[in-house]
Formats: sequence, C-alpha cells, structure tokens
Amino acid sequence: MILTGEEIKKEVLNNRIHIKPFFSENLNPNSYNYHLGPIILEISDSVVDPKRKSKVKKIKLSSKGFVLRPGRIYLGSTIEEIGSDYYVTTLIGRSSVGRLGLYLQITADLGHMGSKHCWTLELCVVQPLIVYPKMKIGQVSFWEPFGAPLTEKFDGKYQKYCVPKISEMYKNIL
Amino acid sequence: MILTGKEIEKEVIGGKIIIDPFHKSNLNPNSYDFRLGGYVKVYKNNVLDPKIKQEVETIDIPEAGLILSPKKIYLGFIKERMGSNFYVPIIRGRSSTGRLGLFIHITSDLIDIGSINNWTLQLHATQKIRIFKDMLIGQVTFWKPKGQIVLYDGKYKNSTGPTESYIWKDFNN
Repeated sequence: MILTGEEIKKEVLNNRIHIKPFFSENLNPNSYNYHLGPIILEISDSVVDPKRKSKVKKIKLSSKGFVLRPGRIYLGSTIEEIGSDYYVTTLIGRSSVGRLGLYLQITADLGHMGSKHCWTLELCVVQPLIVYPKMKIGQVSFWEPFGAPLTEKFDGKYQKYCVPKISEMYKNIL
Repeated sequence: MILTGKEIEKEVIGGKIIIDPFHKSNLNPNSYDFRLGGYVKVYKNNVLDPKIKQEVETIDIPEAGLILSPKKIYLGFIKERMGSNFYVPIIRGRSSTGRLGLFIHITSDLIDIGSINNWTLQLHATQKIRIFKDMLIGQVTFWKPKGQIVLYDGKYKNSTGPTESYIWKDFNN
C-alpha cells in the first residue's frame, strides 16, 4: 500500500522516514517533492561499456541554468537525503517535468529499503531543456512492505553519498 | 503491498513464485536481480505500423558484447523463467543500468499475474552502449494484489524468448 502525504509527514516526525531537509509544503496527496542538486555529471563515453568506469564531465549549475541535450545521459542528485528502514521508496518525476519531456530515472525508480542518501537522478530529455539548481524536479512515494527484512541493515554500493554517482556495474556485471 | 527479499525467497521455496534458476545472492531488500538472455530481435522496418505484422531480425549477442544504437528498439529477454499465479510482478532496471542510460522497458513495467515465462525486455539506449549476455540487467518486484485473481491468458502466453509486438492482431477483430 502507498502512504498518503499525511502519513509520510507522520512517519517523518516518528523518524521512520528520513527526508532531510523536510518542509510540509512539499507534500502531495501521496508523495513528497524533491529538488535538484547543483552538480550534474554528463556521461561522455562515445560507447558506454558496463565493464568499464564511465567517463564524465562535471558541470556546476549556475542560476542561469544548463541546457540538457537529447541523446545524452546526465546524472544529477536530489538535494534531500531520502530513505526509510520501514518503507520502500519509489522515485518519479513530477507531471510538470514529464510534460516538458524530462525523464528523471531510466527504468530504475526503486529505492532499496534501508538505504538513506541523496538520490542519483538519471536525467534524459526528449527535446533540449534547461534545468536550474534547486528546482522542484520530482517526487518520491513510500510503500508498505510485506514480509521480514532481507538483512538487518542494507549495505549497497551507493550508500552514504550526497553527489551524483556513476554506475558501478563494472564491479559486478555478472 | 510489495514483498521483501526474504518473502520473495520464502515464496520461491514454497512454489508461489517461479524464478528459475534462482540464486539467493541475487536478492535485494525488495527485489530480485535478473540476467539478460543471449540474443535480441530488431524490427526490419524503420517506420512501425501497428496494423501490420512486423518482420524481425534475430541477433546473437557475441562474447565481446553487442553495441546498441539509440535509434532502434531492441527486444531482449530475461534469462530466468519467472512469474507467479499469486503476486503481481513489476520489472525495472537496476540503478547501475539506468546510470548507463539503458532503458529496459518502454513505460510498460507491469507483468500480468499468471504470465510465467521468459519475459521480453524493451531495450532502448540513450547513448550507444555495449551489452553482454548474462549481465545482471534488471530487477523484479512482487506485489500482493487485492481482489479475485484471473490468470493471464493473452497473446504472449508461453513465450520463451524476445517476442515482437502482436498488436496487429487487435486490428483484425
């Protein structure tokens, strides 16, 4: 079951959901709006190879914004640290950015229960689009799980980061 | 409700979820990582007309990998045979795949309850990318449904590899 906005707020106050910083005005009926952090990594390989570390160009967003081009992958991050040991997070765009042709994730919208950090966003545009630092860009939902937790504490590859992180598939492709 | 990794394991052992072969090491807190099968299909036509049965070409993924072009849709498949008559599967890429710009489905992540086979993946590369057979490409979650269950009995039942769109059949009725 998906949590309502009121329930998200309640569980943030109970410390069962981690959203930092948290402002009630970002609550929606069933989600919470997150904001775009100031650093973007542009993947600059001519052919992306999952067995190798991606080459990147680091871009610091200014208040003038930055134009994303179609046919490129850009990794951004949320300003907020988001996660929960009790609920499963899924992260999507806002309909306001979907209507502009911006993808916020590339079929990987699921957060692992127990991981709490700033999320890497996989930005990809249909038409050229300007993005600005701190813009309200997407939303996160929380879902009730069924069954015992897999382990006491989740310890994945991408824990504890607050900047966009490139793929670490080269560490375990098979 | 979404099943935890522990619950997925329990239901695989109990027979209510099929994942074959199943390796415990591929379990995540709320999902199971799956592998890419050894070949893909591409449509021969450039302009796709849903009213017409599309011819496809089958391409084996060599050991050195296959480079996907951003201009094509590639139909791949999941190496593991998967499904459930009790839970609803939803597939996703792994975040490691998404960070490389590879879509593994095109806005259709929901698998019908009762569809137990080697599901088709709709691969789309944002930038040119090399793919390898057996790579851990995506993950599947399982959801508890509410209401009476009617099992899938559709066009793609019993498919064992990448299966092209059968939407043309909808127009002939």
